[in-house]
Amino acid sequence: MMNDLAQTSSAPIISARGLRKRFGKSEILHGLYFDIPPGRIYGLVGHNGAGKTTTLNAILGLTSYEGTLRVLGEDPYARRASLMENVAFISDVASLPRFLRVRELFALLSNIHPKFSPQKARDFLAGTDVRMEARIKNLSKGMIAQLHLAVVMAIDAKLLVLDEPTLGLDITYRKRFYRRLLEDYMTEERTLLITTHQVDEIEFMLSDIMFIREGDLILHMQMETVSTKFSQVLVDPANLDAAMALRPIFSETRFGQTVCVYDGVDRAQLEPLGTVSTPTLSDLFVALMERPTANPGAR
Amino acid sequence: MKTITALIQREYLEHKGAFLYAPAVILGLLTLVLLTATGIDRPRLPTGIAVNSGKVVEVAFLAVAALWFVYLLAALFFYFADAFNADRRNNAMLFWKSMPVSDFTVLGAKLLAGLTIFPALILVAVLINAVLLVVFALFTAWQLPGMVPPDLLTVLGAGGQVGLFAIVSMLLALLWYAPFFAWVGMLSTLVGRWSIPLAFLIPGMIGLFEKLTFGAGDFDRGYFLTWIGERLHFGLDRELFADEFLTPTRFEAVPAVARLLTVVDWTQFFGGLAVAMLLVYAASEYRRRFIAA
Repeated sequence: MMNDLAQTSSAPIISARGLRKRFGKSEILHGLYFDIPPGRIYGLVGHNGAGKTTTLNAILGLTSYEGTLRVLGEDPYARRASLMENVAFISDVASLPRFLRVRELFALLSNIHPKFSPQKARDFLAGTDVRMEARIKNLSKGMIAQLHLAVVMAIDAKLLVLDEPTLGLDITYRKRFYRRLLEDYMTEERTLLITTHQVDEIEFMLSDIMFIREGDLILHMQMETVSTKFSQVLVDPANLDAAMALRPIFSETRFGQTVCVYDGVDRAQLEPLGTVSTPTLSDLFVALMERPTANPGAR
Repeated sequence: MKTITALIQREYLEHKGAFLYAPAVILGLLTLVLLTATGIDRPRLPTGIAVNSGKVVEVAFLAVAALWFVYLLAALFFYFADAFNADRRNNAMLFWKSMPVSDFTVLGAKLLAGLTIFPALILVAVLINAVLLVVFALFTAWQLPGMVPPDLLTVLGAGGQVGLFAIVSMLLALLWYAPFFAWVGMLSTLVGRWSIPLAFLIPGMIGLFEKLTFGAGDFDRGYFLTWIGERLHFGLDRELFADEFLTPTRFEAVPAVARLLTVVDWTQFFGGLAVAMLLVYAASEYRRRFIAA
């Protein structure tokens, strides 16, 4: 596994050591090792069935696991209820109780969650079309997403976990969702862990990225390191042989032009070959997912 | 305590249809029927009826309470068959699991709601129904000069005595039947609405298995089904009713309650409560371990 975790010194919010999960005879997570320090925005990216949601479910205490996992210093499976005082999550925007009115939801949460502020939730909803008297079942999917985000942002949590929070929402809602999250919620004390298939939409806000493939973590890195470690070259046709000689981790031809992605190759070496840039997360994802040896250090 | 109260309130909001709206509709229909009854075929109505007797009022109130209690038992059965699985069926499981509340607390609150807020609503329905009956009697007496309505003192006296007995016996009966409710609830956690037939089918199959395997024993139905049958029978038997209500003397709640307390099998009573807690705990563990969404 490629990582640069040596920089972290403060106590991690999440710490996994040999995290494994089996469903019957099938092993879904093959022993993950990672630490997530506080104050970071993590993206967890992988194909369908790669183990993202299983990892998140383990972190949230929703499923059992083997190995050691600590969230805010506690075993999440054994201590889910108390852990949820400091952890908020959205795993499915359609999971709000549909029989309630918005006002009733806030009133209930005020008594159930000690760190929920109904005033904050109302403030977050200001400017939206969500009315306090509205029944949740009558709200549109986008409005429910806004409401759910308002609910979790009104919880003074240390860790916020979002599993495909914008699935099924249109682009306008998605952009608004992430902007509000970043502007109104994130502080240095809070940690955000997010999974999504629309990885390009969250790239701007991430501080760290983790790629998971078939139950193995194949990349765990700060975004700054990604931009120095990986390079993408739009290769001039005349330099194709030279470009391939530098052993790109991925290459493909798009509209007659070849694009190569390199891992750890000095940019000075690459610049004569064509136009050098930092690969987008989606390009890097495709490159690493298709790389046969993407997972040399995996346990 | 604040959390439990909020969770019970949530149950009320989610299931008020069966315990608030449906009784309101029934009372509305009853009002309509009573109003209609006072307006039709008046010349053929018998005259000279005396409903001022405390005994008549007592029996009428008791019948009202008994009918509503039957409604409560049926509504609670379906409530438990639904509520323990509602979060999964409504796709709200992940939301509730994101709250700092254990699965045992969530399910325990459902059991508590079934033993507190919902019976309280039905008691209100009983009260309204009793008032309706009195109003009907007064209205009928006003229309039929020969009829003597009950006076206020008789109504309050009978209402108070029957009401006290109804509240105590309803509370004891609900606690007595708590393991059956918890049984349905636990099945609901496992198999959703299949809990409704399975709640009867599983004991039936166990009884059948016992009978086929070991013979009938000393009982026609076998030990298991005989025990279930006895366990379903609360202390409010025909004999107690006959002795306490069907006598010329006025009903007194305190001796009747005292007698009821003597006929309740307290070992079964507290054992049943312990079993109810175990069933809820088992359901909560299943929910914690196997229901992630």
